[in-house]
Amino acid sequence: MHITLNQQAQPVPPGWEDEPLLWLLREPLGLTGTRFGCGMGQCGACTVLIDGVAQRACLQTARGLQGRSITTVEGLAAPDGTLHPVQQAWLDLRVPQCGYCQSGQIMGAVALLRATPRPSDAQIDAAMAGHLCRCGTQHRVRAAIHQAAGGVKP
Amino acid sequence: MKRRQFLAAAGAGALTVTLAGCSLVPVIPKRPTSTADDALGWIRHDNGRYTLWLPSAEMGQQISAALQGLAAAELGVPPAQVHLQLPSTRHIARVRATVGSASVQDFALPLARACATLREALAQGQTTGTLAARDIPASALRSLQPRTGVTKEAAVAPGQLHALVTGQPLFAADTRLPGLLYGRVLRAPMSAEITSRPQAWDETAARADPACVAVVQHPRLAQMGSLGLGIVARTPSALDRIEAALAVQWQVEDGSAFEQTAIDERIDIDTHLHRGPLQHRPRKDELPTDTAWTLDLRMDVPLAAHAPIEPRSATAHWLGDAGKEGIALKVWAGTQDLFYMRDVLARQFSLDAERIEVQACRIGGGFGGRTLCTVELEAAVLAQAVGAPVKVQWSRAQEFAQGFQRPPSSHRVRAHVQGERITHWWHALASSHILFTPAAMPVWMQTLADLAGDSGVARGAQMPYDVPQQRIEFTAQRLPVHTGPWRGLGAGPNTLVVESAMDECARLAGADPLAWRLQHTTDARLAQVLRRAAAEARWPERPASNATTLRGRGIAGGIYKGVSYAAAVADVEVQRTTGRVRVVALWCAHDCGLVLQPDGVRAQTEGNLVWCLGMVLHEQLPVARSGVAAASFADYPLPRMGDVPPLHVHLIDSSAPPTGAGETAMVAGAGAIANALRDATGVRFARLPVRSADVLQALSTRA
Repeated sequence: MHITLNQQAQPVPPGWEDEPLLWLLREPLGLTGTRFGCGMGQCGACTVLIDGVAQRACLQTARGLQGRSITTVEGLAAPDGTLHPVQQAWLDLRVPQCGYCQSGQIMGAVALLRATPRPSDAQIDAAMAGHLCRCGTQHRVRAAIHQAAGGVKP
Repeated sequence: MKRRQFLAAAGAGALTVTLAGCSLVPVIPKRPTSTADDALGWIRHDNGRYTLWLPSAEMGQQISAALQGLAAAELGVPPAQVHLQLPSTRHIARVRATVGSASVQDFALPLARACATLREALAQGQTTGTLAARDIPASALRSLQPRTGVTKEAAVAPGQLHALVTGQPLFAADTRLPGLLYGRVLRAPMSAEITSRPQAWDETAARADPACVAVVQHPRLAQMGSLGLGIVARTPSALDRIEAALAVQWQVEDGSAFEQTAIDERIDIDTHLHRGPLQHRPRKDELPTDTAWTLDLRMDVPLAAHAPIEPRSATAHWLGDAGKEGIALKVWAGTQDLFYMRDVLARQFSLDAERIEVQACRIGGGFGGRTLCTVELEAAVLAQAVGAPVKVQWSRAQEFAQGFQRPPSSHRVRAHVQGERITHWWHALASSHILFTPAAMPVWMQTLADLAGDSGVARGAQMPYDVPQQRIEFTAQRLPVHTGPWRGLGAGPNTLVVESAMDECARLAGADPLAWRLQHTTDARLAQVLRRAAAEARWPERPASNATTLRGRGIAGGIYKGVSYAAAVADVEVQRTTGRVRVVALWCAHDCGLVLQPDGVRAQTEGNLVWCLGMVLHEQLPVARSGVAAASFADYPLPRMGDVPPLHVHLIDSSAPPTGAGETAMVAGAGAIANALRDATGVRFARLPVRSADVLQALSTRA
């Protein structure tokens, strides 16, 4: 079995076909940027893009993702290392504190900006409501999304 | 060996009684003071490349960036040229735990001295060897000199931010090893204060799962009263299936069951006051018995969880082929106390500490909750049992139930106001232990420690204002749910109560809340943060209510650990029909002396403000059926994106010695929000958290 991961065909090791995508990514495939926070879709720490839409990797399996395109935080930057504008905004505004939820937050923000290139505060609050952060970075997440969207707050 | 011979072998008149692998006295964390010579072990130079072994745990306070920036400034190189490494216990000399926002205080001066010594040696052409640190005064260290705003910002060091935004492995759970297996220790679904053990389980059903590797019984799987049953699997999610298949039945000590009411009753402040003076009296001025109290305020703060987004994790690897000399056990851990982990593991496995290596990993949210050896021991026991490296990461439910919690507290404040002054102040509080956490201390030891009084419980209860006659007293009651350090220890709840009472006194005196506070302090730094927060919020302007929305504004301030200052102003809105409360803006002025890394301090302050918001409006850890009743974030709501308002943080430019910033604003934010709520609704909410239903009920009662 294969999945399409960060634009490459990726074989799924035997025994992992029906495991949650979260653990397939983290353990045999070594993409540990997608993180476990709750395992029931409540925290957003394991958010990945599936065909460009934000999904919780803890609620997906490889078998269910045949023919779909999966993007993780490791696949956001350009091959030459140039960061995605959302990653760059996160770096510029020094959003992360402990950072554990932040790859999920970044993936949520990327998906939001694909669907809504210039989101309002209310649209950001609604789209990011499922991303928990215990350190209290919400204020900076909001600012970084505005910056990645073009710097001007609508 | 016969028993008599054994006793004789113990020899020389000394008879010690030990149990295999453990002792009656728990391992006590050591707290050495690091010197500049220790710090020379943190910084190394090799062929133009500098490596900094971080002496404190990195858990989001950006201490890595702060110390990287400091080292770079002292060495005279760009921060990016100082390569950051999280150490293992083999890399550096023992350092104390990362607690109490003291990393800059503890480590800045020795690190700066070490870097200056290294810089001077390199300048003189020395490139090899080990140096002895020079005792350079702080005033001669370039990294510790006050800087103007512009150079401060330019000195920002990258820390691990790039690795975070690109998803690189940093946390304990990101550890990967060949042949790695996954473990979990099942425990009775109740508090570890209760003695419990596995009684029966269906091992055949568990082993029917092809991913099941082992079911492990071992006496070292005990955490206080709870003896667990270990399981090891080939994939992480198989652990859920195996746990379900095992269907463990638990043997539980009789008569131990409890509910929430047991906790409420044990800390009820009025019950304690009725019995007489409380056990500890940090201030015990005589109060006239005939005082007619102007204010008599009861407030109760509930049990709360740390709720880090990272459930704690550790990976353990026994190195079977290592001889008697080498490392026998390596553990990757996200801990606030690296060397204490090693000490506990050494005791548990009867190993020389030098044969255990504990590798520090970034912590996905510490907040005081990562100080004990829990998951590290579980991983080490399971790895030894199966003869392969094992990773353990607690489930979300385990993270809620098996850690220790912020204790609930019950307060009564009485104050006498005469004219424009508070003349008498009496704050009594009952809570549970914090520094003497029952999660690590058996009852007998805690009772002994209690003679001294748990200063963590009292933190922040010493009010920061000038009142001539004060009585401050407290008692710590051991509760059936384990409590311990949480961000700011007692300071969050205690200062919330102090500042609520101050606010009520101002109202009773008909005074402006800012002016009232200023006339009760001669502390220039406290007055400065109060004035600054008020000015930024354009005090005394205040938002007006209308037909649908009640609006209010509150102020509060305080001093953390006697050295760091903060004040905050909050604006809130309350929907009259739904009772929904929204904090619409927060301003905070913050003074922690010389600021090494302004953005890091701002971020910590923002974090504290969000914690304050959660504390007042959201957080309560439910208890039922003899334990924590929260299994998921649905049972313990945290502030979400839409709950967090714009945060306006203002740092006071100061050349006073650097202090701590990780918990300071806990003394200001909660009081400001509670006072704004009082201002908007006319109601002083006596129980936290204040949820929509509470507001609706209070508004209807008032109407």
